Order: sequence, then C-alpha cells, then structure tokens
Amino acid sequence: MKLKITSVLVVISLVVGTSSATADVIKVGFIGPISGKLAANGIAGRNSAELAVQIRNADSHTQHKYELVALDDECKPNIGVQVATKMAADKDIVATIGHFCSAVATGAVDIYHKFGLPIVVWGAIAPAITYGNDYGEVFRTIGTLTSQNETAIKFMESRGYKRVVMIHDTTAYGAGHQEAFATFAQTSGVDLVESIGVTADQQDFTAELTKVKSHNADVIYFGGLVDLGIRVRNQMDKVGVDAQFVGVSGIIADTFIEGAVNAEGSIAMRQGAPVEDMPGGPKYLKLYEEAQFDNPPEAYGIYAFTAMNVLLDAIEKAGSDREAIKDTLAGLPEKDYAIGPVRFDSSGQNTFSLITPVVVKDGKWVKVE
Amino acid sequence: MCESMRAFGGITMRVIMDFALFTQFIINGLMQGMVYALVAVGFTLFFGVLDIIKFSHGDVLTVGAFAGLTIYLIVASIGIASPWVILVLILVFSISVTALLGAVVAKFLVIPLKQARAPALNILLITLMLGTALREAVRLFFPDGSSSKAFPALLPGGAFELGMLSLRFDSILLFATGVAVIIAMHTLITRTKLGLAIQAVAQDEETSKLMGINFEAIVLMTFMLGSAVAAIAGIINGLYYNEINFTMGLLLGAVGFSAAIIGGLGNLYGAILGGFLFAGLQTFAVVVLPIPIAYKDVFAFGVIIILIAWRPTGLIAETSSERV
Amino acid sequence: MNEFFLSRVGVLVAIVFAALYISALLYIESETMVGALVIGLAILWLVGNRTGSSGRLSATIRKNTRYTGTLSLIAVITVAAFFYNDHFNLLMLTTVMIFVVACIGLNIQFGYTGLLNFAGAAFFGAGGYTAAVLTSNTAMPHLVVLLCGGIVAVLIGFILILPVLRTRGHYAAVVTIAFSLLFRTLVEVNQVLGGAQGAPVSGLNLFGWDFNKNFEIGGFEVSFYINYFIFASLLLLISIIFSRTLERSWIGLNLDTIRLDEVAAMCFGIDIARWKTTAFAMGNFMLGVVGAFYATMLGFIAPNNFTFGDSLIMVSIILLGGIGSIPGIILAAAIVIILPEKLQAIEEYRFLIFAVGVILILLFRPNGLIRRRMRIFPGVIVKADTSV
Repeated sequence: MKLKITSVLVVISLVVGTSSATADVIKVGFIGPISGKLAANGIAGRNSAELAVQIRNADSHTQHKYELVALDDECKPNIGVQVATKMAADKDIVATIGHFCSAVATGAVDIYHKFGLPIVVWGAIAPAITYGNDYGEVFRTIGTLTSQNETAIKFMESRGYKRVVMIHDTTAYGAGHQEAFATFAQTSGVDLVESIGVTADQQDFTAELTKVKSHNADVIYFGGLVDLGIRVRNQMDKVGVDAQFVGVSGIIADTFIEGAVNAEGSIAMRQGAPVEDMPGGPKYLKLYEEAQFDNPPEAYGIYAFTAMNVLLDAIEKAGSDREAIKDTLAGLPEKDYAIGPVRFDSSGQNTFSLITPVVVKDGKWVKVE
Repeated sequence: MCESMRAFGGITMRVIMDFALFTQFIINGLMQGMVYALVAVGFTLFFGVLDIIKFSHGDVLTVGAFAGLTIYLIVASIGIASPWVILVLILVFSISVTALLGAVVAKFLVIPLKQARAPALNILLITLMLGTALREAVRLFFPDGSSSKAFPALLPGGAFELGMLSLRFDSILLFATGVAVIIAMHTLITRTKLGLAIQAVAQDEETSKLMGINFEAIVLMTFMLGSAVAAIAGIINGLYYNEINFTMGLLLGAVGFSAAIIGGLGNLYGAILGGFLFAGLQTFAVVVLPIPIAYKDVFAFGVIIILIAWRPTGLIAETSSERV
Repeated sequence: MNEFFLSRVGVLVAIVFAALYISALLYIESETMVGALVIGLAILWLVGNRTGSSGRLSATIRKNTRYTGTLSLIAVITVAAFFYNDHFNLLMLTTVMIFVVACIGLNIQFGYTGLLNFAGAAFFGAGGYTAAVLTSNTAMPHLVVLLCGGIVAVLIGFILILPVLRTRGHYAAVVTIAFSLLFRTLVEVNQVLGGAQGAPVSGLNLFGWDFNKNFEIGGFEVSFYINYFIFASLLLLISIIFSRTLERSWIGLNLDTIRLDEVAAMCFGIDIARWKTTAFAMGNFMLGVVGAFYATMLGFIAPNNFTFGDSLIMVSIILLGGIGSIPGIILAAAIVIILPEKLQAIEEYRFLIFAVGVILILLFRPNGLIRRRMRIFPGVIVKADTSV
C-alpha cells in the first residue's frame, strides 16, 4: 500500500482495512467492451480470462496466485484511453490483456507505452496496433485484418465473383478493412466498383443500397461490426439487391443470425476457425461450460482465454516486474495454445494466423465447404 | 444506322434504368419521411397543448417497438400462427404500453412541473433524462437488450419489380398505414369533441378551464394519443427494417424534433412537411451531391439550421408567433 | 465580533470538510463506502437546509470572498499534495475542474443571457481538435495553441450566430442540437481529423516545462498530472474571477436584463444583438480554451468525446447546480463526473441511475442544488430573488 503524507488522518482511518493487497497475489488486467453494443463479446472475453485465471490458480504447479481486474472500455476510444490510464497507473497490476475494438486499442497503446504496462491484445485486429508503432509493451495473439482481406479476395475469385461493392464503417476497423481490401483487389480478378463509408451508428441504408443496385454487383462486401451488418443485410431485401453478402470477421456472432431475417447463406471471414475446429477448441468449450458462466463464449472468447494464458505463462517465468514480463513475452518460445501456435515477431504480433471462410447454415456459422 | 439504333437503345435503357432508380430513391425517401413525420406529429401535439418539448418521444418509440416484439415472442411461443392476429395483438399491446407510459409521464413529471411554473428548459431536460432512462431500461431489462433484435416480417412479402425498381407490397402497406394514422389524427383533432377540447387547451389554458374543460384529463389524453402514435411509428419502423435496437429512438427523436421545429411547432401540417423535408434532404445528399454519403446527416442538419435562420418560427409559422 | 469570528470558523470547517470529502470519495474503492458517503452528504444537506445553517454559511462566504478564496486555494493544494503520485485521481480532479470552467462559459450564455446552447461539447471539441491539429503539425507555442482553441470555437460560433439571434426558446434549442449532431458526424467522417478513430494530441509544454513528465519534489516522485492539475486550477481561478466580475459589472446587468425581458431591455436601449453575440462569443471562447487543454491532457481525442450526450451533461451540470450559480456548478460537476466513475461495479446501471437521479432533483429541487444569489448593491433593497 502506498504511503500518503499525513494531513488527512480522517481519510486514512476511513480507508484502512478496505484495500490492501496481500503480497503474493499478482493482479492482472482485462479490458473489453463489458457494456454497450458489443457487450456480448466483452463479457465472453472477461469470462474466458477469468476462466484462464481460475484454472491457473487451481493448478498446484503455479508459483503465484492471480487476481483478475476487469475494466470496461465500452468500445469507445475516449473511454478506452481513460480505463487504460486507470489500469496502467495502478502499480499493483503487472500486465493486462485488452481490447476487442480496434479503434479503442489503436488509441490506447500510447498509454501502455507511456506507463510501461505490457499488454496482450486479444480481440482487436487493425494492423496499426502492433505495426503502427515501435512500442515494446504491445503484443497480440489474434491475427491482423490484412490476412482476412487476402483470403476474402481469394474466396471471391474462387467463386467467380467479379464486381464487388464495399460498405464499411468509417472507424479504424472498417476503414482498415477497406484499405486492405482495396490493395489486394488491385492485383486480382476482383473489381472493387465502389466503397461506401457510413457512420457506425447509421440506421437506414436504403439510399446507399439503391446506389449499390445500380452497380449490378455480384458481392456486397461489408466491413464493420455486427449491428451494422444486420441492418445492411436486412435492407438489401428491401430494395431488392440480390448480391451475395460477404462480411468481415466483425459480423460473426450469434446475434447476427438472430438479428438478420435472411441470415442463411451470409458468408464471413473467420479469424482462426470456428471454435470447435480449433486445436484447443473442444477442451475450452467444455471448461467454459463447466465454469457455468451466465453468458455464452461467443466467437472470440477463446482468444481472450489464449491471450491470458500466454500472459500468465510469461508472468510465471518473469515474476511481477513489468519490465521483465515485457522481455519474457518478446522472447517466448513457440508453443501451442487453444487457438493454435503462438510466437511473437519483433513487433509483438503473433506470426501464426489462419483465416477460414464461414457461412450461416441452418442457423449456425460453419466452415464453407 | 445500326450503330445509331443501338446507341439510341442504350440511351433509352439508361433513361429507364435511371428513372427506375430515381423512383426507388423517392420510395425509400417517402418511407423514411413517413416515420419522421409520425414522430414529428407527436412533438407538435405536445407542444401545441402544453408548450413543452417532450424529448423522450423518440425513446417512447423504442419502448413501443420492444413492447411489440415482446408480445410477438409470447404469442409465437403459444402457437398463434395467423400474422394478422399477431399484428393486431402487437399493435394493441404496444399502443397500450406507450399510452400508459405517456399518461404516467404527463401525470407525474410534466403536469407537476408545469404547475410549479418551472422553466421550460427544466421540462426539456427532465424529458431528455427520461429518454436516457427509458433507453437504458430497454438495454438492461430486455433479454440481451444491447444487441440488435430481429423484428418479424408479418406483412405479405413479394414485390413489384420493374427493372431496377423493386416496390415491395409490405412497404406500400406500411406507407398507407402511416397516411391513415395521420388522417385519423387530423380528423380526431378537427372533428371530434375531444379534438376541440385539445385545441381549446392549446389556445388558452385558463379560458378552456373556465369553459368547463377538464384540463388535466385533456393533457393526459393528448399524451396518450401522442405516445400511441409513437408506438405505431415504432412498429412501422420495425416491420420496415425488420430490425430494432435500443438506440433507434435517439436519432429518430432528434430528427423528429427538428422536423417539427422546421415545419412550425404546434402545426400538424408543418410536422408532416418537416418530416418529408428531412428525408428529402438526406436522399438529395446521397443522390445528387458529389460528397461522400456519410455526410448526408451533416448536410440535412446544416440545411435545417439555415432554414431556421431564414424562417425563425418554422416554415408554416405559428399563428401566435411566440409561445416560449 | 464574536459572531463574525464564529462564521469564519464555519467557513473554515466547511472547506476542510469539502476537501476531506472529495479526497475520501476519490480514495475509497469500495462501492458500499461510496454509497454511504453519498447518502451521508444527502442527509447533511437536508439537515443544513432545515436548520438554515447552509443559508448562514453562504451569506458568510459571500461577505468574505477573499478569505474563502484563500482557504479554498490552500485546500486545493492540500488535496493535490495528498494525491501527489496518484495518476488516476488527479486525472479525475483535473477533469472536474475542466468541466467546471466549460460550464462557467456555458453559464455566461445561458445562466446570465438566457441563450440556450446544447452544443457545448461541440465547441469544447472544436478547441480540442484545434489543439490536435496545431500540436501535431506546427511548432506553435502551446499557450498560443490554447488561445487558438478558444478563437476557433468563437469563429465556429459566429457561423451559428444568425439563427441563434433570430430565434428564441425551443427554436434556438434546435439550432444548437442540430449543430451538435452535425459536428459529431462531421469529425467522425472526416479522415483529415482522424475520423471515428480520433486524433493524437501532444502533451502540453509551456516555456520548456514538459507537462507529461513525472518529477521529483524532495525525494517524492510526483505524478505528471500535477502539472495539469495546477494549470487547470489557474484556469478555474481566472474564469471564476472573470465570471464574477462580469456578473457584478454593468455588462452583467445588461445580460440579466436581456434574459429576464427582452422587450424591457430594448426599451432601456440595450443592444440585444450585440450583447447576445458577446455573451455567445465569451462562452464559446472559454469552452474552446479548456477543450484544447483537455485534449492535451488526454493525449487522444475522438468524436465520441464530443457527442450530443456530452453537451447534455454540461447543461445538466448547470441545471443541477442551479442556473447561474458558480458554487452550484462546482458541486454538480464533481457529482456528475466523479460518481459514475466510482460506481463502476454497478457500471451496467450507472446511466440509468444517473438519469433517474437528475429527474428526481429537477422534480423536487427545480432551482438546483445551490441557487444563484442576485447581486447585492449597498443601499438598494432587493425584495425578491429573480434568478429564475
């Protein structure tokens, strides 16, 4: 506990006993969108991180006891900077995993660097988070969106789709996808006819889609998150656009299937593979179920689980010093985790990344055959 | 000869295509304008009667839509299949919920503040906060309320296709419903005893009381009426987009408010005009202006500001110019 | 004389209590304790009002401004010293002060002049984005950057001045509401300003002193937020003195007259357009300057910081505190900003609780927590309080 200067005796007498950490418990953090529109993913991530910590604490071989501190970034960049500051400024927290939203992570990495807090990003996939800076504190277990768009192009070519119109939100996430997709499209047989940027909370797309209709597109490629994806998919029917709907990984959630009237046949690029198909997927799902959380693991819970396990492995080796944890993470040898192998390159990015096209079939996201 | 024929044919084709597209844009715009107009009518009604802005109106619409979805889920689970029966049940239930909500808000928030002669700003703020509370309540207490919800497609599907134009039967039906609601409202206000009483209160509270009109009852009725229209707008919105979410009312509220203001507060026709004008501006920005589509709201709100500078009390000005 | 002395002791006790209370509120982590503190304050409040001691206290404060000011300054410094290495709490305190200054600016517009402005966050943001652009692209001295933030906000305000002057009441409200929505979309879509992602802002650097570096005083490592804290206190002090002086001056009288009765004001030869423009510009200038300062402190701003909802929060602060009342603004800003932060464990419900709380206060205490006192001129008998 920190020593405060005297003048405020009353306060101290109020506070003594309420907060004092025991020495051998190590605090690790989790940040994600626990409230707000993406709460389902954030809560699944927090539960999965909690699961990883519980399993570790139950293991007799571990050297430390761990405690999880979860904070909510609401998927808003400004709130993200605030909670990142809160997390990083707390000297009891040795390292954290964080962020589902790219826009939040991109803004918050500066803070982790400023305070020297190691972070393993579990769900945000904009390339700039690891590649846009030279911060040694930032690591990421999930792949970037670049490879997703490469796979998307290959997929479209293999299906013989020629004309593509992209609708994307103007956040770092949507714009990042647009940029990557446009780059790959140039050297491929796919013609990106138009890219339409929309705000992230827009409700009506009939005007945009009518414009799309005039392009006679084979594919509407959607770069954004699930809520917007549902609206675009639903309103395609309203104006009679019968192009194939292909989305980025952000739309892969059960809510898409529940929310879109004609979800069947919608295709998306999956980061990794459906959880059941991942190397440690079935085991993770079983553990998650046994832990009896109130909410389902969603598509990306397993990434938070993995990120936390990677982080805990590093802490086991390095102890509770932030600097040492950072160095250990950077030098971590290749090892298999629930999502597959993990090893970081010099920018802190996991070098292994797998993309699987998935489709909604019988109310479930399954691999495209 | 052959060449020129083909060129001519090409041009005709393009004209037809463009015409079809153009019509499609108009239809989309009309549909949106109808929803805006229905919301704006509510604002104008409350203002006309009590000189207040009830900013929670947009979120009442959300509540109405979610109430409709709730009853749908219940009804579907006990196995009633006829879409028309379900539709009637949805309308009845969600109108009752919002009407009750409107009455409660009038009785416990608006009338007490009005009687205490609180500044108009306080009422605006209290209803803004009420809107936040309603929105949050939907998010927190509806199961998994933070995600978008599918709203059932209960109207007959199918569409009238003409080249690029796709005119869906359900859209036509929804539009007709909107028109019917507005006509019904208008008749109610101009032709019935209740309507006359509402007009009397709107014109002069004190005199209407002297004439034996039960002021409080009329205010409650007005709020129930306005909120019921919001519920209908919510259901129309849900059936049209097949999707509802807890934030849907926020922007609709702001747009409806702007529409009511620009049309001239307290004026039914003004609200309708304002609603369609706003949708028209958005469509115009998408179709005609060479700017990125995402700027369409910036453009629409910008024009609204300019219009207000030009006609400070709305396009169809109130008869008594200033009521604030 | 004895009574005079006693009342001064009362002020001293009140200020010490306020400082302790704020420190405790920030320091405590346990939600139940925070809850207890909040309820405790509410009870104290009721008791104070019942026994009339709050009234006596505020009378003394108004009579002894210099004494109260000095004590408050000492209290602020003590609180800062207490949290000397606690980044997050200093950030919270500084944020409160920034919002107080912003709301004082807004208060000149609508507390004094009666100009509705629901785009406070947009002008605040205009300053913030100015700081983002200028600190990243130019080597302009940062003090000038802050001033530019204010100037840009004023210039943007001038675009709105025509509709604002021509409309009143609800019609004026829609002008600023529309502008508020428009501003947010504009910065969100516009990639030059960073889009929805937001833009980085360099930390403040005044006369070679880097605000973003921790430093040591007598062996204690001090959080760099102390820099911002001290600068914010200065801004706050300046704006309070400015606002008070304005209120007491003939300009303040003109503004009040315009709010209370435009027709009467015109009859007395007050140029309404001129004074409304002036008040609008003064308020926006203050919003812009602290907006720029806020941006440099956060180091990162996004359109999400400046939504219509944030404008509403500013308006709520003024209404909660009591329109026109600076002590009210300070109290309300502290409540509105610190409480949701402290009640994060019930985070899911915090907006709901906040909204219901504001509704209750508006319903049962429509003049706000601390109601504005009208100026007292010796020799003039002021019968009624005309602050509404």
